[in-house]
Amino acid sequence: MELFRALAVLVEPPDRPGVARVAEALGLGELPEASAYTDLFVFQLYPYASVYVGAEGMLGGEARDRVAGFLAALGRDVPAEPDHLALLLGAYAGLAEAEGASPGGRRESLRRARRALLWEHLLSWLPVYLDKVERVAPHFYRRWAEMLRAALDAEAETLGAPETLPLHLREAPAVADPREAAPEEFLKSLLAPARSGLVLVRDDLARAAREIGTGVRAGERLFALRSLMGQDAAGTLSWLAREADAWHALHRQRRAAHGAVAGWWAERAASTARLLRALSVDDAAQDSEDAGRGRREGA
Amino acid sequence: MNLKELNERVSAARKETEARGETFYPGPSRVHLAAFPPKERWDDWVELESKAWPERSERRYMLVPTTCFNCESACGLLAYVDRETFGVRKFEGNPEHPGSRGRNCAKGPATLNQVTDPDRILYPLKRAGRRGEGKWVQVGWEEVLEDLAGRIRKAIQENRHNEVMYHVGRPGEDGFTERILAAWGVDGHNSHTNICSSSARAGYQFWMGLDRPSPDHANADVILLISSHLEAGHYFNPHAQRVMEAKQRGAKLVVFDTRLSHTATHADVWVSPYPGSEAAIMLAVANYLVQNNLYDREFVRRWWNWEEYMAVEHPELETSFDGFEEILKSLYAEFTFEHAARESGVDARQLEEVARIVSTAGSRFSSHNWRSAASGNSGGWQVARTLFLVNALLGAVATEGGVFPNAWNKFVPKPIYLPPHPPRWNELTWPREYPLAMNELSFLLPHFLKDGRGKVDTYFTRVYNPVWTNPDGFSWIEVLQDENLIGCYVALTPTWNETAYFADYVLPMGHGSERHDIHSYETHDAQWLGFRQPVLRAARERLGDEIKDTREVNPGEVWEENEFWLELTWRIDPDGSLGIRKFAESQERPGERLGVDEYYGYIFQNSVPGLPERAAAEGLTPLQFMRRYGAFEIGSKTGALYEQEVGEEELEDSRTDRFGRVYTRTPKPASPNVVPIPAPDADAEGRRFVGVNVDGKILRGFPTPSGRLEFYSKTLADWGWHEYAVPAYIKSHIHPDNLNPDQTVLISTFRLPVQIHTRSANAKWLDEIAHTNPLWIHPRHAAQLGVKTGDAVRVETETGYFVVRAWVTEGIRPDVVACSHHMGRWKLAHEGEGQRQLMQTVALDHKGAEWELKRERAAHGYTSPDPDTTRIWWADVGVHQNLTFPVHPDPVSGMHCWHQAVRVRKAEPSDRPGDIHVDTEKSRAVYRAWLQFTRPADAHSPDGTRRPYWLLRPLKPAREFYKLPEVMSDE
Repeated sequence: MELFRALAVLVEPPDRPGVARVAEALGLGELPEASAYTDLFVFQLYPYASVYVGAEGMLGGEARDRVAGFLAALGRDVPAEPDHLALLLGAYAGLAEAEGASPGGRRESLRRARRALLWEHLLSWLPVYLDKVERVAPHFYRRWAEMLRAALDAEAETLGAPETLPLHLREAPAVADPREAAPEEFLKSLLAPARSGLVLVRDDLARAAREIGTGVRAGERLFALRSLMGQDAAGTLSWLAREADAWHALHRQRRAAHGAVAGWWAERAASTARLLRALSVDDAAQDSEDAGRGRREGA
Repeated sequence: MNLKELNERVSAARKETEARGETFYPGPSRVHLAAFPPKERWDDWVELESKAWPERSERRYMLVPTTCFNCESACGLLAYVDRETFGVRKFEGNPEHPGSRGRNCAKGPATLNQVTDPDRILYPLKRAGRRGEGKWVQVGWEEVLEDLAGRIRKAIQENRHNEVMYHVGRPGEDGFTERILAAWGVDGHNSHTNICSSSARAGYQFWMGLDRPSPDHANADVILLISSHLEAGHYFNPHAQRVMEAKQRGAKLVVFDTRLSHTATHADVWVSPYPGSEAAIMLAVANYLVQNNLYDREFVRRWWNWEEYMAVEHPELETSFDGFEEILKSLYAEFTFEHAARESGVDARQLEEVARIVSTAGSRFSSHNWRSAASGNSGGWQVARTLFLVNALLGAVATEGGVFPNAWNKFVPKPIYLPPHPPRWNELTWPREYPLAMNELSFLLPHFLKDGRGKVDTYFTRVYNPVWTNPDGFSWIEVLQDENLIGCYVALTPTWNETAYFADYVLPMGHGSERHDIHSYETHDAQWLGFRQPVLRAARERLGDEIKDTREVNPGEVWEENEFWLELTWRIDPDGSLGIRKFAESQERPGERLGVDEYYGYIFQNSVPGLPERAAAEGLTPLQFMRRYGAFEIGSKTGALYEQEVGEEELEDSRTDRFGRVYTRTPKPASPNVVPIPAPDADAEGRRFVGVNVDGKILRGFPTPSGRLEFYSKTLADWGWHEYAVPAYIKSHIHPDNLNPDQTVLISTFRLPVQIHTRSANAKWLDEIAHTNPLWIHPRHAAQLGVKTGDAVRVETETGYFVVRAWVTEGIRPDVVACSHHMGRWKLAHEGEGQRQLMQTVALDHKGAEWELKRERAAHGYTSPDPDTTRIWWADVGVHQNLTFPVHPDPVSGMHCWHQAVRVRKAEPSDRPGDIHVDTEKSRAVYRAWLQFTRPADAHSPDGTRRPYWLLRPLKPAREFYKLPEVMSDE
């Protein structure tokens, strides 16, 4: 479990004392610049479970409470940010170590707790998260992500999957249909991975703008997405649908390792893709009407 | 990628790093409150210079640990010593300290203000004019030492040992100075404890032998505090963080506090009782547990001294546990929730809710009372006794989440010398009227001196300011001004204070980062040792310098007490003929004076299990290790020591008496831990008490006369207090029955969380946060008086009045007013400089016994080397209310009972906030009246002694001096 602790340390800024020593032990080579860390963990991929499994797609909320409740049930002190990746990995290592040092009956219950932590709060989101890290991160963090994935996969194999899906996923609603809900809700839900099945970071939205051929407006993701929709709704919707397809394929590949959880993510991405396609057809029809009224001059 | 190999590689790297004494995993910063500099970088730590912003300019520091001295919690500090200037730049927490774990309250970092205080005393001063006239000359230490050593030598040679007295506020150390006094052979220790905590101590000691609770808050399911313990009080910072951990886990917090304190705001259930009714409530809770069979029967059967109780109090009945349970059910039957509601003014349903919550705790019930209600009320010691009754019923004693006797969570390492018990008894501090007093009757000293009970030749105060802190301060001024009563008064203090103005010598002593001490406190279920040190001495030594005397590194000629006392002891007996010098002599270099390096080096090498090995692993001597890390944990999870079996090897020729007490001929095994533990009497043939027989097994038990938890205190019964031998409710001196209709109760004992008595007066950061003490007054009460926030009111006590501004708030009951004792600091007009940030300038006048203190000038900005002193924006520094309180010694515990019956009315037009008027003749009358409540040893001692020998006592005299003189004197 040394490995989990060591990997946890690397979710901290590289200029913190001690990080270099751990990176060296892992054979990860030279540390990246502090700015690479900031770009990855502070701007693109916040390392908190609640962002990926919560209905809001943001820090905190019920998802974080579920993690906190889990830690409290283990009799642990619940820190202010219980769902931070470093803490979850540390907790996992702690459980494994306690298990090794405990007598029979207690060992069994600690093992059950560890299995629950693995599937409920780590494997429910980390494979998806690491997929994204591997696509946007510099070399150092890509190596880190590969190691973490390998370590998680090994644990998943050892402990086996439970029968039920993680509660986070069971509780997560799908993307809000803008034909029934407010448009703002729709956009927000697209940005919440557990609702849409896809992870959209800032860079993705910039890429979307390039690919659709619209301008990109700097700002938070919701603002950027709203602005894309405002400029070219149909183009944005189809771009998002293609993105959902890609995620669907990606999740499907993970089914061998993570079974039903990967299946759930795949299904979520597929259903988002279906919705987006349906909307894109509607929107194209709407667009031609609008064009007739001359509303899109200059677009 | 081979995960197994990767794991092993990391493992190997970790082990290698840790073997060097370094940290491998830094710990995720967002999980802890703060990230601490890893200890391997403490020699050279780089931070950006804050004042150079926005430029990024680096500064290098050496981080040196010490221990905070701003309260008794002894939290760890890390001094950031600038490697260029060799000044301390800031203080932060020491993550290596097991009690505080790197966290501090505001008073810790503010140590910097005390160190750099522009008004601090830097040189020894000697009085030039009359006492209190305010004229001083700077003198050298040599002159001071020679004069004092000569005086004390003469007193000893003339057999006037009892005229040497040392009066201490917070000791902040474990026994060093007591041993100095023992070396001199004087019974001259005088503590502040009887104005502080002795009432609660009495309640605990009569139960478990030891006088302090050590609650394991972190592991409790229900926590009950009769105090504002999250913000003030003993070990509040280490305790508060553990209380909050428990709360985060889901533990319930019940707080009894008449005021809406910060602690009350964090409670799940806040109970605001009428002051003094707390014991009635606790008995109602106990009664609920008893009547509903919600207590731990097995624990009560095994560990209470019910057999002794039955045999002594109910000899007519057959001694059986069932029989005892029946009596227990009837004993407290009248203590219903309705009764408690009548006494406390709290809804019976809320009290029942408290009882219900408590009943769910099982053995995970941690509780705490230290001052608060116990210190406010006559009979207040029963607050702690009835509170612990609930622990004893639940079996929550030394369990995980329960309450431990403090000595089990404390480690006092055996020092290089242990001088014998003094061969005398001092009646000025331990008078016959108070045979069961927990501590010295220190606050009665002026009255005893005026009564002609004795005199003091040489009187030291240390971290103590009796004129300001004690009740009845004008009586102190009266005796301090009389050189026939106090021959020479020496104030050992880092800062000016109200008592030091009347001194003959004012001797500057170091702050928390300028002196040596060791300490170990019951912050949780562990034993740890903390080390306070002059950080600049440690820093210079780390760079290879040799420092012989702490004055070399302290500012001006500021010294530290350890070196001062050793030097004084050396000089009292220069040729060794008095048998004193040997206790200050070096063992490494015979013929030379013992130094602090040898003193602490000896202790760390020989008396702290595990420390030499731990230090050696890092290539350090034990002393170097402590200088580097500042603390060491000896062990944790001591558990229920009373259940520990006594081994055969300790039971030579043992005997068991009818109550199961076991006595042995085997001498007591040596222990490096010399924490004071009560000594239950030997049996008639001189065998030592070793344990108790419980269900056929000989177990350690408790250090009480019965060896068990004493539900029934035969000591109380035998020494004249039979009616209080079992936990009881005593109506307070401020019970409504004792009040006139126009009187109300004043609570005067609470702290402002960022201030600490006399010591923090010149901590500018703290002063800016808290600098005054308005009178808390309920809107209904305020409306009756026609008073609004900011108006001046007169508060009349038995002996005079004080004028204070009102603060109208619903945070207090309508029948109670409250005023913190932390404020109202003053200096005399002719004192000129003195302390200025938190002191008003006053005129002090008296005509006979009529004293008057009038404000002449409020606090104000002034020019000093610290530009911040020109920015002082506050003027009102509150009122020194304690001056108007007469002495209220509790006849059993000896504690001063602080709460006051007062009349509150609008101030006169000529009154100004801070004004005081007192008649000390009235103080004398109140003193005499309370003396009548006592049951003196002369009349009540069951065995011709002054005091039960088994009870704890600071600086215990040799046993033969416990005997009362055969013929009573007429005094």
